[in-house]
Amino acid sequence: MENIKQNPVVKKLGFNRIILFCILLLMYGVFSVIIPGFASMDRIMSILNYTYFLGFLALGVTFVIATGGIDFSIGPVMFCCALMAGYTLNTHGAPVIVSLIMSIVIGFCFGCFNGYLVAFVGVPPFIVSMATMNIAKGLGSVFTKTQSVSWPQGNDPSGKGWFRNLVKVGDFPVGLLIFAVAIVILYIVMNNTKAGRYILCLGSNKEAVRLSGVNVRKWQMLAYVICGALVGIAAIFFVGAYTTVQPGLGDTYNNEAIASCVMGGTSMAGGLASIGGTVIGVLVISLLQEGIMALRMTKEVQMIITGIIVIVFVYADVSARRRRN
Amino acid sequence: MGEVILTMKNIDKSFPGVHALDHVDFELKRGEVHALMGENGAGKSTLMKVLTGIYTKDSGTITYEGREVEFHNTHDAQAAGIVIVHQELNMVGDLTVAQNIFIGREFKKGFMIDDRKMIQESKKLFDELHINIDPKAKMSDLTVGKQQMCEIAKAISHQAKVIIFDEPSAALTEKEIEDLFAIIRDLRKQNLGIIYISHRMDEIKVITDRVTVMRDGAYVGTLITDECTKEDIINMMVGRVIYEDPKTHSMVPADAPVVLKVEHLNAGKMVQDVSFELRKGEILGFSGLMGAGRTEMARALFGADPKTGGDIYINGKKVTINSPEDAVKNGIGYLSEDRKRFGIVVQKTITENSTLATLPKYMSGLFINKGAEKEVTEQYIKELDTKTPSADQLVVNLSGGNQQKVVIAKWLVRNCDILIFDEPTRGIDVGAKNEIYKLMNRLAAEGKSIIMISSEMTEILRMSDRIIVMCEGKKTGEISIEEATQEAIMDKATRDIK
Repeated sequence: MENIKQNPVVKKLGFNRIILFCILLLMYGVFSVIIPGFASMDRIMSILNYTYFLGFLALGVTFVIATGGIDFSIGPVMFCCALMAGYTLNTHGAPVIVSLIMSIVIGFCFGCFNGYLVAFVGVPPFIVSMATMNIAKGLGSVFTKTQSVSWPQGNDPSGKGWFRNLVKVGDFPVGLLIFAVAIVILYIVMNNTKAGRYILCLGSNKEAVRLSGVNVRKWQMLAYVICGALVGIAAIFFVGAYTTVQPGLGDTYNNEAIASCVMGGTSMAGGLASIGGTVIGVLVISLLQEGIMALRMTKEVQMIITGIIVIVFVYADVSARRRRN
Repeated sequence: MGEVILTMKNIDKSFPGVHALDHVDFELKRGEVHALMGENGAGKSTLMKVLTGIYTKDSGTITYEGREVEFHNTHDAQAAGIVIVHQELNMVGDLTVAQNIFIGREFKKGFMIDDRKMIQESKKLFDELHINIDPKAKMSDLTVGKQQMCEIAKAISHQAKVIIFDEPSAALTEKEIEDLFAIIRDLRKQNLGIIYISHRMDEIKVITDRVTVMRDGAYVGTLITDECTKEDIINMMVGRVIYEDPKTHSMVPADAPVVLKVEHLNAGKMVQDVSFELRKGEILGFSGLMGAGRTEMARALFGADPKTGGDIYINGKKVTINSPEDAVKNGIGYLSEDRKRFGIVVQKTITENSTLATLPKYMSGLFINKGAEKEVTEQYIKELDTKTPSADQLVVNLSGGNQQKVVIAKWLVRNCDILIFDEPTRGIDVGAKNEIYKLMNRLAAEGKSIIMISSEMTEILRMSDRIIVMCEGKKTGEISIEEATQEAIMDKATRDIK
């Protein structure tokens, strides 16, 4: 066992991530056996639809968790972006491209708000994001006058449905390409740029980084801003796949995104983050939700399972740290 | 010294990849203070952890009060009368002294906690030990020295027969150490067995009866303290005589320019109107008691804490330093007294730590140039003789001395001209300590200017070209190395208290 862990290839990929990937394959195998017709292209496309938006949420929150913070507002903020941008599109007749940019900008602004309060004012991330969660829910409701918003269908006569091509064209998963590019870029940001280095280091020991002459507040805030912008992108993929958004919802996705991160090896204590791990985590959750639906169980069952996943993996991380010390 | 109370024989303990204890013997008598010495990693702490049941030994026997024993946890050991006074104090700051002493075994009156009885009992304990502490005081309001006394009182309240002191003096001032020694002598008189772990050679000579030395997990030998010299002990610990020669005169050329001038620096109560000059190539020692405001002065100067007034000139030019960022830009580096909290990012690699203050220099465009980064890190690993298998090693896996070298490397990579070394050898073993001394002397010779804050008198006298003494936030004296004596420094360090 120790020998396998010391193998350079295994070390590079991460032992835990390899295990998680095996679990993913195993789950897929089990679902395929017990659910007739599960191993089909339709199912895979359906899983991918879930993967895209959850993936952007989870990758975003990975940066925040890397600083040792937390963001419970991502789900509701995603819905707020989709509601406000969609409402502007439908009611005020804005061009689609404007609405898409608007979605990202709204996410970005929420990120700035959270990040400023955490990094510069010094309010604990837990409190800030809880408050922002309610602000996002309220804002989305007020803006749309508490109406649900449906984004145009692909065959909409106005031609406004073209944004769905970002998710797929015919049977070709364009979204997967975009998601893959995003993964590569975010991997590089996390591991090869100043921002990623400072974010990881300050997550591990903020005071030591500050005393090294680094403007830690700026970099800490940046993590929330990156998260916010990615949440705005997640909103586009959400409506691209699921069309309708209702005000006042979105919390369940917080737990699913956070569960994806911790499964993938990002430590809730900060300082340790894995983009690749988060992606595998997202795939596990997406597959799980598809399987649960196929088994005709309710969303609530999935909420229970993700809740348990968070607790189990955080416990595993905490006890691994304790052993090391 | 009375009869033997504790014998550890042939104690063996292995961890994966490390033979931590290699058939170690140890013996303690009643009424004796027995020093346990060795460099970091020699196995002292492991041996004590085996004794108190934190670790289980692989083989060997422990005989205590004539019976063979095996403790499974500290609670067992405590119940049998063996207690540890830890280096890091385990006290709850917001509770009172009495509440801390009886924590976990509070006296009760029905359902209620009987605070009055706990206060009475604490008073009794303190009277026995001749300590003057108010049991009703809040723990966080006490000095580190007083907190240590409380820890000792707590240990004794467990009906201890053997007390282990793990580097008790690391955070204490000379005066507090004297008080500590008075208590230890008292305990010795009461026929307790005392194990004393320390890095400070002077203390060993003063307080202990016998010395057992360990090296690399093995037992080296036991000496009677009065019959051996410091050099004998050091030789046993490291196998060679070490230490830089103390300075007899300043090494700074008479015409060396002033690189840093601090005028009327103020920062709250702890730094009041401090002014001084630092010259090129100088090691300026800052002496004083714990809480004299030296660290606070350094942090204010470095911009880590806000200042309330004062001007700073670097190379004759007035500069504004409101944050560590400003300080680093102006070529100041700060090596904190608390390495783990303020110095290193333990979960990151040596490379990541070494370039932390200089990262913008190691960028090609948007990306970190990991090759260049690694190259400079390896260069400093070699130059500072940091012991590590590679630059990719996580800092958490290094010993204290080597971690300190990583922090120093961080500032050398940044090419800082002014270095503030706050307790640079705290918690570092004798061998590594001298390496740090050598390094500081070399840096000064190369033209770097160093402010060295130290609570160790011998260190101040050995390393400084000039000494500034602080007391209660004020500068109370400035002494050249030619005139400096322990007495002269202590006199100034306690000026305002007397």
